[in-house]
Amino acid sequence: MSNDSSLLALLTTTPLFAVGLTLTAYLVGNGLFQRLKRPSWLPAILIAALLLAGALALIGLPYATYQQGATWLTVLLGPATVALGMPLYQQLPRIVELWRPLAICLPIAAALAAFYSLAIAWLLGSSNTILASIAAKSVTAPIAIGITEQLGGTVALLLGALLITGVITIPCVSLAARFLHIDDERLIGFALGLNGHAIGTVRAFELSPTAGAFASLGMSLTGIFTAVLLPLAWRLLGMGG
Amino acid sequence: MPALSGFLWLISYWLIGEVVIHVTALPISSGVIGMLLLCVTLAIRGRVPGSIAAAAQPLIALLAMLIMPGVVGVFFIIGELAGQWSAILIALVLGTLLSVFTTLWLLKRLIGQSHVQ
Repeated sequence: MSNDSSLLALLTTTPLFAVGLTLTAYLVGNGLFQRLKRPSWLPAILIAALLLAGALALIGLPYATYQQGATWLTVLLGPATVALGMPLYQQLPRIVELWRPLAICLPIAAALAAFYSLAIAWLLGSSNTILASIAAKSVTAPIAIGITEQLGGTVALLLGALLITGVITIPCVSLAARFLHIDDERLIGFALGLNGHAIGTVRAFELSPTAGAFASLGMSLTGIFTAVLLPLAWRLLGMGG
Repeated sequence: MPALSGFLWLISYWLIGEVVIHVTALPISSGVIGMLLLCVTLAIRGRVPGSIAAAAQPLIALLAMLIMPGVVGVFFIIGELAGQWSAILIALVLGTLLSVFTTLWLLKRLIGQSHVQ
């Protein structure tokens, strides 16, 4: 047993162990996702995250240690977000075509994305800390973390809320699109990015490059809008501590 | 080394975003500022240089993997929120369902026809 833990200690001195673990979970998760015929209710990222959490628990690696090593991957999130400017540019003509409806829809939809969940959680008696942690649930992680710290929420709970929201957005969009008879991939992409941030955007890129570009647009506009207005609204409602 | 110089472009735009945030105190992430700057630059140049495409395409494809390490954290705070989870779950699931319906319904109303391509 002590032999096992010293081996684990040896391996975790290098970030390559956490990186390797993440790559394994991602590849196996993707393989399973393909094998299961790409179910919309069980996205590849959820399978991979479950595998990764299971592996960490199994080998007894504390999450903090893993997270430290995985920084070598997560630091790429910055340039990857910048990279989304490319599909955004490539779809610019189609976005400009729709700028007016998108500009009207965005503030209403982004505000309601936060409002609905906050109102339900408040009615169910959630504490102010929980409300502050889930308020940015539809915002992409790097922006949402900043908002949550400003509101006085818990970042770990926020990331959980992001996972749940992102994953649930995918079947919700399929359901709503079928119900409302919408098959325009621009609208579906925009709704995926606006409500489901990066997870919805990844799903939109699986559908088509056009859906992906509209999702990137929805994701970034929701992020900017929420980052500017949510802390302000919070203060006006007297929620801040 | 086109992909490498493209990658340097992406990193530079992200760093510019950091500087912009530091100077203006905007509550936005540097990634989003970098993304908008990249989009504007490409629009001015009128095309996507091969180096940027070579770096951006694989990174976008890996987006899901890059957010995984953060996402996994939720499984390690489940114990801390015992008794609160049902309210949080109901709020997130129901709230997201309602907001997705509102978004799509609103877009459909605003655009008029959903079948135009």
